[in-house]
Amino acid sequence: MSVVTVVEAAPEPLPDLDTEGFWKATARGEIALGRCQSCRRWQHPPVERCRECAGPTAFEPISGAGSVYSFIVVHRASVPGFSGLLPYVIALVELDEQPGLRLAARLVGVEPSETTIGQRLQGEITEVFGSEYRIPVFRPVATLAP
Amino acid sequence: MSTAIAGIGRTEYSRNSGRTTMAMAAEACRGAVADTGLDLAEVDGMICFQAAGDSVGPLAVSQSIGLPELAWSIDMNGGGNVVANVIATAAAAIEAGLCRAVVAYRSLNGRSGYRFGTATGKLSVGGPLQFEAPHGYLVPPQWIAMWAKRHQHVYGSTCEDLGQIATTQRAHAVNNPHAINRTPLTMDDYMAGRWINEPFRIFDCAYEIDGAVAILIVGRELAASLRQPPVWLVGSGDSQSGRGWTEWDDPTQMYSRYAAPRLWNRTGLSAEDMDVACMYDCFTYTVMATMEDFGFCEKGGVGEFFAKGQATYGGDVVVNPHGGLLSEGYIHGLNHYYEAALQLRGQGGERQVPDAKLALVTAGAGPYGGASVLSSEEP
Repeated sequence: MSVVTVVEAAPEPLPDLDTEGFWKATARGEIALGRCQSCRRWQHPPVERCRECAGPTAFEPISGAGSVYSFIVVHRASVPGFSGLLPYVIALVELDEQPGLRLAARLVGVEPSETTIGQRLQGEITEVFGSEYRIPVFRPVATLAP
Repeated sequence: MSTAIAGIGRTEYSRNSGRTTMAMAAEACRGAVADTGLDLAEVDGMICFQAAGDSVGPLAVSQSIGLPELAWSIDMNGGGNVVANVIATAAAAIEAGLCRAVVAYRSLNGRSGYRFGTATGKLSVGGPLQFEAPHGYLVPPQWIAMWAKRHQHVYGSTCEDLGQIATTQRAHAVNNPHAINRTPLTMDDYMAGRWINEPFRIFDCAYEIDGAVAILIVGRELAASLRQPPVWLVGSGDSQSGRGWTEWDDPTQMYSRYAAPRLWNRTGLSAEDMDVACMYDCFTYTVMATMEDFGFCEKGGVGEFFAKGQATYGGDVVVNPHGGLLSEGYIHGLNHYYEAALQLRGQGGERQVPDAKLALVTAGAGPYGGASVLSSEEP
């Protein structure tokens, strides 16, 4: 990977009562998602009450293991903070915890041309450029059957 | 009661209008009414849509063109996804007896002012996008490229398939004096286009412009007394939401997987009945996914459908005879209604679709959108 120079600040999250648990977890170095305390289904984006059964939800840590469901290679600086990073890869990451449970996130440690759908990934926490917030990114791991 | 598009109006389309959205809205609205011979003061309803506060609503625009007052008005919040809903809601208001003559408009400085494809400045992002914006993932040309990539993986569709859509629509725009992009585009030109968000190149993206469009909708009785042949609203189908851009279960299908059967069931029609299809084309892939959902061809078959000439003059249906948002320009989809009306009135000039009687107009992408069927004959 080339040396990265970031000259602008990236967009910052604006947490609310339903989402602040996610950001508190990343500040601790964890990836945590909302989970229904009744039916145990994971919820993302987080909601106060389960979208399936209306049970109460709480944030619980996830394994961070998942795979690439789809991805793009961003070549145009359409969002502030990323002109020094072009081209970068954004993936829809399907998490192992539950079919259809996805996070959109930046991939690290991989060249755009080496990214493939189905690639196995592991999440890790990094900084939001120019911000106090921290956020999960995903890195390819050695491919064994999931 | 049947309702019809009785008049159409628009401004020049440009890269930099040098005008306010108010001035352009006023010109387009006056134009739509003047098109029909209706006395401007008879307009008693107005509806528009805007996103991120990028335009001006009916309360101000009606004053600027001297309307005495409005019996009914809505300033709808949304983008391309609400256009069919704007038209359907205007028709419903007339059918409910709330008003008699509604002008629907969209006015935007989409290139010189607020651009949908680009975020700028120091941003704090709330809601579901707060998890994605800090990654540099925030704008529609990224979301829809992400969906297109999944379609390529599942159905083996290719960039050349997307290029067939872009080049066909550009060939149509060559015959449209109002279009902003009229230089012919070959497949080589398309493939040489710079990447925006892979798999999208520059020619996969709507061309953002400045301008305004207005559509006058009236009931049956009034339509019969006006100068232009009425273009009838046969029916509409909408579908909004369910899941968002990231969580949607199958990105090879869009809102249209629900809206299309809804529309065809209500109208008793199908894709093969359509002479013209003004398909919302914020991106080429939107055309691909929605044409499959509306039943013009099998999954993965859109590239071949275009390559064989089935989407142009002499084929099965003429898709975006004006060039669409890709080549005529991005008036956020209301220009698709303008074009459909023009074609069904037989006023398409050089690009007239022969014997055009029925048109599908779609608007929106991903989980959010809707569509209308228009007819030259009263339903």
